[in-house]
Amino acid sequence: MIFTKRIMRFYHSSKQLFGAEKSSLAVLRKKTGYTIANCKKALQLNDNDLGQAEKWLKDQAQIMGWKKATKLEGRLTSQGLIGVAIKDSCAAMIELSCETDFVAKNKEFKSMVEIAANSCVDFASSQYKSNAPIIKICFSGEQLKELPTQDGKKLSDLLALMIGTVGENATFKRALCFKAGHGVYLAGYAHPSGDEPNHVQLGKFGSILAFRQFAPKEVDLNTVGKELCQHIVGMNPKKLGTIDEIPSEKSDYEDSLLHQEYLLDESITVKDYLEESGVEVIDFRRFQCGESMMESGDQPLELIETCQ
Amino acid sequence: MIFLKGITKLANLSKSQQVPKLLCSCKLLSNSEQNYYNIKGSLYYNRYLRNYSTDKKVHINIGTIGHVDHGKTTLTAAMTKVLQKDGLSEFVAYDQIDKAPEEKARGITINASHIGYSTIKRHYAHTDCPGHADFIKNMISGASQMDGAILVVAADDGEMPQTREHLLLAKQVGIKKIVVFINKADIVDQESLELVELEIRELLDTFGFDSEAPVIYGSALSALNGQDGEYSENSIRKLLNTIDNYIPDPQRDLNSPFWIPIDNAFSVTGRGTVVVGTIIRGVIKKNDECELLGFDSRRKTTVGDIQVFKKSIPQAAAGDHVGVLLRGVKLNSVDRGMQLVAKGSIKYTNRFKANIYFLTREEGGRSKPILSRYSQQLFSNTWNVPCRLDLEKGIEMLLPGEHGPVNLTLQWKMPMINSQPFTIRENNITVATGIITESLEPVLVTSTLGKLQL
Ligand SMILES: Nc1nc2c(ncn2[C@@H]2O[C@H](COP(=O)(O)OP(=O)(O)O)[C@@H](O)[C@H]2O)c(=O)[nH]1
Ligand SMILES: [Mg+2]
Repeated sequence: MIFTKRIMRFYHSSKQLFGAEKSSLAVLRKKTGYTIANCKKALQLNDNDLGQAEKWLKDQAQIMGWKKATKLEGRLTSQGLIGVAIKDSCAAMIELSCETDFVAKNKEFKSMVEIAANSCVDFASSQYKSNAPIIKICFSGEQLKELPTQDGKKLSDLLALMIGTVGENATFKRALCFKAGHGVYLAGYAHPSGDEPNHVQLGKFGSILAFRQFAPKEVDLNTVGKELCQHIVGMNPKKLGTIDEIPSEKSDYEDSLLHQEYLLDESITVKDYLEESGVEVIDFRRFQCGESMMESGDQPLELIETCQ
Repeated sequence: MIFLKGITKLANLSKSQQVPKLLCSCKLLSNSEQNYYNIKGSLYYNRYLRNYSTDKKVHINIGTIGHVDHGKTTLTAAMTKVLQKDGLSEFVAYDQIDKAPEEKARGITINASHIGYSTIKRHYAHTDCPGHADFIKNMISGASQMDGAILVVAADDGEMPQTREHLLLAKQVGIKKIVVFINKADIVDQESLELVELEIRELLDTFGFDSEAPVIYGSALSALNGQDGEYSENSIRKLLNTIDNYIPDPQRDLNSPFWIPIDNAFSVTGRGTVVVGTIIRGVIKKNDECELLGFDSRRKTTVGDIQVFKKSIPQAAAGDHVGVLLRGVKLNSVDRGMQLVAKGSIKYTNRFKANIYFLTREEGGRSKPILSRYSQQLFSNTWNVPCRLDLEKGIEMLLPGEHGPVNLTLQWKMPMINSQPFTIRENNITVATGIITESLEPVLVTSTLGKLQL
């Protein structure tokens, strides 16, 4: 392959020259990141004019994104991320799924989750307050797509753009918001923790929690909330449970939050921990990536939240 | 073995699971233990010694990485198709690779398909894994340490945002050699092919891979469909030829200081103590100064004699199963699980960094998360010791089904080297499997492991 050899020589002699003598295709590609095929088309349609071609690509991005999104629609998305956002008296948790876990590590994908979570919180904030301790608002994947972002676009448009860029199908699965009434505290957690673009926690698991203080104790309520949320992610309680119910005989199978061994101190139960901290749990939810394998729209009934 | 004749006492070593440190007058493995040893040991040796098989063809582990839909599975099928045509291997159809049932390696379920084929020169075990986590699990489970990878890039798309993740992953799992296959050459022009090549070379360079790595243009689909043309079967032959030559044979490590895990030990009347084991790396010579390490003890000694197949020899090398006569060592100071190493060659410590995977409940593992200070029995090779596990800073817990970096603190100092595999068991049930990645400075264990301040 003669050509390859030539490139190699070029490469050796002047590494910094990479890009200096590039073709317009190479330049356009580097600048825009769109696929080779699309960049080529852009140049052909615009007589090799770089500026025009770039403008054409930008204009087309939304259309191409939608095209790609339509083409990939229906492909199984079992990987993804959960985003948890808390702002003032509202908490939101959303799930965005994709095909491979490589994409879930992608900047664009993470930023999509962050934007969607913030849209949900904003939506919940704009709703009227009621006298109830908490209001729960839930969204199906389809409803989520219709939400506006902070700069007025629809989430579905942004999603299509993102799919166009990463080249893999992605689907909004579900979202849930808590809006807290008077005296109610909210907490959220995502695991594995670490990534927090714009205060949105990202992970494979997430939980949100609403709780109330019944007796003032020397505790930091933020820490209590966070630790309880971590417990919920780690121990996967299915329900809150009641004080009087009889705990399960095998602690491994206990699925009432109140009667589970407390994650951070096995010698006590969550109930004990709540008493020690002077708080009571009003409600909680836990999301795990991919636990609803079905495409949005045909989720099994128990996964669809009933709204108050 | 000649040594056997002189055995004075013979006793079976009882299972060392509950009582990790055993002092027996003689150590020979009972049948059941031999089995246990073989199962655990084979994986262990695989990593170091697998290329010493008597078969003339070398075994190489390879894999396809690349963006979804760029043609990894098609290429894998096409490679076997061409090899079948050339009378070297059996064809594995696309569907067989794509819909392969999940595999189990050391109890871990991995969503990957492993297929095998032979070229003129070598046997290949080829992994086609769709996900990041699957690759990591594949690495940790020790089933196949990859010698090289084929990066598949479709020429109509070019490098994609995830291509970086793929190369990062390749680095993480220790892949050193990458061959690039620019696929779908049947539907693009020369300019696109060349641009994709340029971009990929730049990217390889960024990630510290060889930017002069071989790049092959081709069409996996054309080859699979048996079409004519430059980019059809010939491109696949070129690829096969390239992996044969560009990815080096795994080298038996003769340059590092020698290292022998001890399987057996016995005393020979009038001569002293003989330890038996397979040399993992290096060369051992008569009169070499060495150390017998394990379970906190360190005994300096010298090599009195080396025997292979009943013959006394002046030196032996990695891969050889040897008996070594040690000067001035009493049999009761040798334990199975100890290692014979060249003097001063190993950092003797009880603290390590490791990469670990926790089995899910479905895989027979735990249901509850793991937090720092988790203390259980660690098993490696032929020995086991109490061990405490701490998560890295910033990681608050690991859930079953997750993998991550951890710090290990053993009750006693044990000689371990990088990529040595181990498992963690609770009540004799395997809950985690991992590999050592780094040796850390030792700490003195004066309290129980759980109470130790680290
Ligand atoms: N035109 C063309 N299509 C190909 C080629 N190789 C694979 N494909 C197609 O690309 C798609 C994805 O291929 P696949 O092997 O499943 O990709 P993977 O996701 O990387 O394993 C399939 O529809 C293949 O038929 C090729 O060389 N040329
Ligand atoms: Mg595939």
